[in-house]
Amino acid sequence: MIPLAFLMPGQRGRIVTLDVGRGKARRLMEMGLLPGEFVEVLSNSVGPVVIRVRGMMLAIGRNVASRIWVEVT
Amino acid sequence: MGGGDLVAREILVAIAGSPNVGKSTLFNRITGGDVHVANWPGVTLTRTEGYIEHHNVKIRLVDLPGTYSFSAQDIGELIAREFLVREKPDVLVVVVDATSLEKSLYLAIMAMELYERVILAVNMIDAASKRGLRIDFQGLKSRLGVPVVPISALKGIGVGVLLDRILEVAEGKTVRRESLKIDYDGLEPYIYEIARHLRIKGALKDYPSRWAAIRLLEGDDKIFEELNKVDHDLADYVRSVRERAEVELGEDPEKIAISSRYMFIDELVKSYVARVRLATPGLSERLDKVMLHPIFGPIAATFVILATFFLIFVVNTGFPLNMILEHLGYGELAGLVEEYSLSGVLGLMFDWFSTIVEGWMNSLGYNGWLTSLITEGLIGSLGTLISFVPLLLMAYIFLGAMQDSGLFPRAAVAYDNLFRRFGLSGRAFFPAALGMGCSVAAVVSTRGIDDDRERMVTAMTSPLIPCQARLLVLLTIASAAFANPLHQSILTISIYVLSFILYLLTSKLLNKYLFKVEHAPDLLMELPPYHRPSLRVIWWYARSNTEHFLRRAGLLILGLGIATWYLLNFGPSGFLSDGNIAGSYAAMLGRLLVPITGLIGLPDWRYALAFEVGFVAKEGLLITFSSIAGVPDPIEALRSIGITPVKAISLALAMNYYVPCLATVAALFTELRIGKYVIITILMELGLALITASLVYRSALFLGFM
Repeated sequence: MIPLAFLMPGQRGRIVTLDVGRGKARRLMEMGLLPGEFVEVLSNSVGPVVIRVRGMMLAIGRNVASRIWVEVT
Repeated sequence: MGGGDLVAREILVAIAGSPNVGKSTLFNRITGGDVHVANWPGVTLTRTEGYIEHHNVKIRLVDLPGTYSFSAQDIGELIAREFLVREKPDVLVVVVDATSLEKSLYLAIMAMELYERVILAVNMIDAASKRGLRIDFQGLKSRLGVPVVPISALKGIGVGVLLDRILEVAEGKTVRRESLKIDYDGLEPYIYEIARHLRIKGALKDYPSRWAAIRLLEGDDKIFEELNKVDHDLADYVRSVRERAEVELGEDPEKIAISSRYMFIDELVKSYVARVRLATPGLSERLDKVMLHPIFGPIAATFVILATFFLIFVVNTGFPLNMILEHLGYGELAGLVEEYSLSGVLGLMFDWFSTIVEGWMNSLGYNGWLTSLITEGLIGSLGTLISFVPLLLMAYIFLGAMQDSGLFPRAAVAYDNLFRRFGLSGRAFFPAALGMGCSVAAVVSTRGIDDDRERMVTAMTSPLIPCQARLLVLLTIASAAFANPLHQSILTISIYVLSFILYLLTSKLLNKYLFKVEHAPDLLMELPPYHRPSLRVIWWYARSNTEHFLRRAGLLILGLGIATWYLLNFGPSGFLSDGNIAGSYAAMLGRLLVPITGLIGLPDWRYALAFEVGFVAKEGLLITFSSIAGVPDPIEALRSIGITPVKAISLALAMNYYVPCLATVAALFTELRIGKYVIITILMELGLALITASLVYRSALFLGFM
């Protein structure tokens, strides 16, 4: 299990837990970032991590992306 | 409900939808752009309303804030939910995106759980069929129990059918008896338990009891507080049920609830959406290779923005095309470009109008202060107000195009890394970019930032970026004091660079000392697919926002404009019919201000007076220099009052920062809504002007330049 922010562009993972505050977790889950959901990292360099989840592109700040734990698939 | 009534009925229809599903496009399509833009009470969130008539029924349409859910987590979500619960619209239209139903249906599902009179408008069906998606609308309709209407808001497909359905639902023809029920799995027994108690006690009657029970289990603070107020014991009991559920299920009820909704959506998509062929990776992916690149991304974003601004500048003021032409030896053509730029044409129109009125009033025998009040005070201020229109419109067209094309969020991503160091997110780039056009637009555009603190900080600091009016003054000062074009350019560019640095630094300081926040807000932003911006949508957006600003700030600008006219045209001896500005109250005030302008090496009442006039609009500085010196060309005027290179640098810095212009102050008032912050902004700018300009002056003295 590694943070989402550690995935390379092109890598896919499955969300395990969201290690963020309550309000933030709700927001992430309502945008489709639920534990069990598959995500694909599209771009990950210095700024926000850009992923694809539920067919939608999402930019997530590096801080938050470091607290989303995924299993690489 | 009499179908044959001769009196036209009026119904209330609300439109909801997540960001990027085309909700505003649909709203614009239905109303034909004839809308009223205002604010939701107490907040700086735009509220758009419009009226139309369909089959003799008057329809009042309200555009709800674009949100991803109805959880009342932020102000937009709360407003949308409160509107449904309190105003009980006759129909709620929820717009979803046909190309990403698995995502955009979330809000629709929440809406259907909360409300019965719902219509699902499935937008962008043309794009969906292009991508090889086939949607079974009949199936969706029977599963959800609400009318489902395929539409393309952009092309106007299906809008007539949607209006027919709206009337049917409003008349109660195709309404479900109760709201949608989703299987919440393990949560069901607890939902049942809480809902039963709510019904017995008659609490939270505004909401469906099952819905309220689910929200309470999910930990919705807003609903819990509402319950706590009317029935404290029941609230305690609900809390205990929630805690019990969490222990017994071994999972957060909130997570179960959100998962259940998404599972329901997955089931819907699986049953009713077929992918008949695979979409080919298009331009979008290739563009994103550049836009999301760590180095090329910011460069590309900067390039797009600068190119757009070059165009806007040329159309608006002729600059820099006029200077390029002049440099190449096409002086006449340069003059034409300037004269037929938008601000040139508007200026000519107002001069012409004011001359006509003056002649007409003189012929009626009025030639005293009243004529001056009307021709100079009133028409002049009106001219100032109107001269903002092209600036604002273009800034909004730029912003609208950036948003509509999908470039906006990508540029925010590209700049995020840089801006984080100053406690801002990448979104703060836009107020700064727009600020190069017009500070008013920059301040107003901050409402696109959803973090409250970031919104306030950027509204307070973005006026530091030189706008087009200040660019004009800056160029005139540079040309008056420096003969060498290279030196002129160095001065101009340095001021821009310094302004961007100050924008970032002051943002950091305000974050730290005024708002006491150290961390930049985290970005969480959808990047919608690129698409060609629709002129219709952009024009509508730009027009309605410009009107909104003129309505809100117009009176303030006119009032202060006339006050300035009074100070300039009246003195202790009454009305100054000879136009002798030196005897005016404004000049007296200017003499009082000399000790302050002396700090920056300009101990001359004429500069002080120019600063006073410049508050109304920064071009006012040039007009004042011209009228004091009695020379129409402001460059000559500045030379005749003895400008030197050191004075020019000092004047340029002071002019840029000493105070945001009148219209910007008006915008700050309407956006910040807290007088203290507006005053802090003004004092901060004044402080920056004094510090930067006196530093230049003192170092020049020290180095022996003077």
